[in-house]
Amino acid sequence: MISVMIAAIGNIGRAAMLGTSSLRGTLAFAVRVFLNFFDRRTYNSASLMVFIHQLYFTSVQILPLFLFVAVIFGFLINGMAFNAVKNMDYLGRLLMGFVVTELSPFITVLLIALRSSSAINTEIAVMKVNREMSTLNSFRIDLIHYLFIPRILNGVFSMVLLTSLFALVVLSTGLLVSSLVFGTSVDTYVDTLLRSTDVLDIVILLIKCATFGFFITLIPIRIGLSASEELTSIPISVLNGMVKVFVAIVTIEVLSSIIRFI
Amino acid sequence: MQRIEFKVGLFIAITSLLIMASIGYVAYKKGVFSKVHTYTLSSKSGDNLTEGMPVAVWGFTIGRVSALELNDQGIVLIRIKIPDRHNRMIRANSKFVIDKPLIGSPRIIVQTNNLNALPLSPEMVPELTESNDINEIIKRARPIVDKADRIMANIEHITASLSDPAGDVNRILRNAETLTARFSKKDSLLAMAVGDPESVKSIHEAINKLRDITVKVDGILKRVDGMAGKTDEEIYGQDGILPQLRNILRDLLGKLAKIDVTFDNINKVSYEAADSAKDLKGLRNALDETVKSIGNLADEIDRKIPFKARPEIKLP
Amino acid sequence: MTFFDSEDALQTSLNAFLEEHREHLGLVSPDIPLISNLPVWSNIALIRQYHENMPWEEAKALAVELLERFGMAKIVEQRSHSLNKEELFCVMLMRAAMVREAVVVLDRPFRILSNLPEGCFLTDAFHKVDDLIAEAHIFDYNWEKGRYGATDCAKD
Repeated sequence: MISVMIAAIGNIGRAAMLGTSSLRGTLAFAVRVFLNFFDRRTYNSASLMVFIHQLYFTSVQILPLFLFVAVIFGFLINGMAFNAVKNMDYLGRLLMGFVVTELSPFITVLLIALRSSSAINTEIAVMKVNREMSTLNSFRIDLIHYLFIPRILNGVFSMVLLTSLFALVVLSTGLLVSSLVFGTSVDTYVDTLLRSTDVLDIVILLIKCATFGFFITLIPIRIGLSASEELTSIPISVLNGMVKVFVAIVTIEVLSSIIRFI
Repeated sequence: MQRIEFKVGLFIAITSLLIMASIGYVAYKKGVFSKVHTYTLSSKSGDNLTEGMPVAVWGFTIGRVSALELNDQGIVLIRIKIPDRHNRMIRANSKFVIDKPLIGSPRIIVQTNNLNALPLSPEMVPELTESNDINEIIKRARPIVDKADRIMANIEHITASLSDPAGDVNRILRNAETLTARFSKKDSLLAMAVGDPESVKSIHEAINKLRDITVKVDGILKRVDGMAGKTDEEIYGQDGILPQLRNILRDLLGKLAKIDVTFDNINKVSYEAADSAKDLKGLRNALDETVKSIGNLADEIDRKIPFKARPEIKLP
Repeated sequence: MTFFDSEDALQTSLNAFLEEHREHLGLVSPDIPLISNLPVWSNIALIRQYHENMPWEEAKALAVELLERFGMAKIVEQRSHSLNKEELFCVMLMRAAMVREAVVVLDRPFRILSNLPEGCFLTDAFHKVDDLIAEAHIFDYNWEKGRYGATDCAKD
């Protein structure tokens, strides 16, 4: 009887270990990458070039589409908000507490995840299939320094910059909507926003953006590395990576909300 | 590569500049770069006090509570930080009140009557007094409650007076009964003394009306007895008991005044008939007493009950 | 030049050699391809950029100068999949030569240059970068020996 119970408990433990192995693996990889942020060898001309290219593909190339989306959202959200909320204080809280701190990072992370995370996942998986990792190893080029950190730093920078840009565009659009459509003075609108602005919220927003950027690039890299040397493993790897990126986005969103409302 | 570098550089520079400018603007507007004045307040209790709590003037937040300390004497010291641009609101005569609204977080309200008064010295430690919405409501409701109390006392007094056998209304009724009885006995004497059938008829009509009025007043008495359970509207409303009572009493006064005039005529006509005059004099005295007492009662009711077109007692 | 009778023997010997010269190793082998999403110049310049933090402009100039030695300046911005076998081999050799005091190892070069009958091309290529390399080693099978010694240029 006791042996059966021990076996049952063992099975539960094994299932738990198996179920969380991916999470543990990701966290261990994240720690490893994070520690390399402080390694001087990470910051060399080759890594900088990769970083610039990544930032170009992730943030600059997407900019026209991104700004267009931000302006459309700005008009929609501000139009609805000004119609629905007559009290300027509530409007300020809605714009700062929801649009800036929740909606802006969410839209940005979705766009970056859909465009860049999938590309990074595919790129790493293709490199693995082509045995290009062996090339780098052969020439003593550290994968974390040269391949991973520039991409992850790009994720962090892009998220912070694009989210801020999105928020600024939405708020500027709000200024237009409020003054041109609803006749609110610029001073009133700005004062309303200022009254609703909490420095702590902005700090949490920036940390959240950086965390989003870190994980939506780290996870595709890790999953891409797990591809085998067969071409057919590439789509499977991308599929797994994108699902895990989605789970990471939801998890970070929930955690940041908990921290904000504690 | 150079083209890419330029574009990326431009993107980072412009976006960073926008972000820095926005954060700088917010920080400037929030007074991060301006000089901040620190004042210390004291309070016997630290209840509802928290760090970061807003300090407001006329609904506008002008500063925040930066620290809370308990000194050796067990007094809570509250340090508030006020940016320089709002510092003119803090004067030596300013009062600091902790406001605890029914809904929402507490805050410190600064009440400054004279903005030209001397500025508050940072060495001074004004006391933080307490105020909250419940107390304020009770304070505001107090006069209304007092007024309601007075009205209830008056109603009780009138009710007691009406139901008291020795009270004014009962006295009127008794007088009216006596009068009626006496008139019924003096019918032949009256006719004989007056020698005027029209006057006799007029007196009889008056007596009959007086009977009707007596019945009405009696009915009112019964209704007043049950007044305790009545609502405000039933008592004071347009169709309420007390306005009716007043009308009836005024009617009674009018009728009795008419009788008074008639009796004056009788007196004049039958001046020389000694027996008749003696009886008529008694009758006149009885009428005078009745009129006077009814008048007093009506005046008292008018004085004690604030008859209004519409009742307006509103409790919180 | 070292020749082996079997793949296993070659692989074992090669691995031992690579391990021994890891610090300055410049391996040319189809098993370590060019990075497919980098242009030719970047594949060559990468080694100096990473290990010596050489600015990309300088590293690119060096790569272009090397490509010019081979008469291949036109392929500077091309990717690996658009190169022919000779170009691919030369770019791999230039990349290996970018290692400081490079110990260049050609691992069965005729797997890359399968279209060439003899090793004259190899010798020419080595001559073009010999100022950059400290040592050069070729690992191949015994049955390929004739491709190296059959011509005059092999003697150089």
